[in-house]
Amino acid sequence: MLFFRSEERVAEWCRANRVPQRPLVALSQLWRLSQAWYANRLTPEARRPAPAEMAGIFRGIGLEGSFWDPNADDFS
Amino acid sequence: MTERHDRDGEVRSAVYRHLVETSAAPSVSDIERHLGMTRPEILAAYQRLFARRVLVVGADGETIVMAPPFSGVPTQHRVAVGNREYFANCAWDALGIPAALHAPAIVRSRCEQSGEPLTILVDRDGPAPEPCVAHFAVPAALWWRDIGFT
Repeated sequence: MLFFRSEERVAEWCRANRVPQRPLVALSQLWRLSQAWYANRLTPEARRPAPAEMAGIFRGIGLEGSFWDPNADDFS
Repeated sequence: MTERHDRDGEVRSAVYRHLVETSAAPSVSDIERHLGMTRPEILAAYQRLFARRVLVVGADGETIVMAPPFSGVPTQHRVAVGNREYFANCAWDALGIPAALHAPAIVRSRCEQSGEPLTILVDRDGPAPEPCVAHFAVPAALWWRDIGFT
C-alpha cells in the first residue's frame, strides 16, 4: 500500500507500471483501519483478525466489494 | 493452550518489545538473551509465527523482515514517535505504528509517483488533514501471496 499526493498521481503510476487502478483509501479511512488492526497489537493476547473479522472491519469503514473480501476470487 | 504456543507467544512479545524499545529488529542472539531459549527453538518459533502470519521472516530464516506494523528493514515510510524513529511496511502500517503505540507521531513518506515528500502529523485522535490517498494494488485475498507487495 503506497501513498500518493492525489488520485491523478495514482492514475499516472498505475499507467506507468501497467497495473489496474484499485480503490483509493482516504487518510481518515486508513487511520480507522490502522486502529482496528493494530490498536491491540502489542498486547500479549493480540492476533491478526480472522477473514470474517477482516471483512467486517472493511465494511465498517466503507471499504466494500470483492476487492476487500479476504475470501474472494473475483476482483472485478 | 500448549507449552509450544506459550513459548511462541513469548518469542512474539520479545520481538515486538525489542523493536519498540530499540527501533530495530532483534537478532536471534538478542532473543536468546531475552528468553533463554536455544537458537533452534527460536528459529522453529519464527517459522510457526510466519505460518500464522504473525511475523515475516527473511529467506535466511532468522531476519525479522516484518512484525506488523513495524518493518525490520529500512523502507520509505519513517515514523517518528518521541525520540525514536521506526520504519513501517507500507502506508497502512505507517499509521499503524502510532495506533499500536497509542502515541502521537510524525509520518514521513513520499508520493510514489512524483517522489514528493509527504509529512503526516498524527495525534491521538488521528492524522491531521493532508492531501494524500493510499492505493492498495492487490486485493485482500491475495495479500499474503507476496506480503512485500500489496
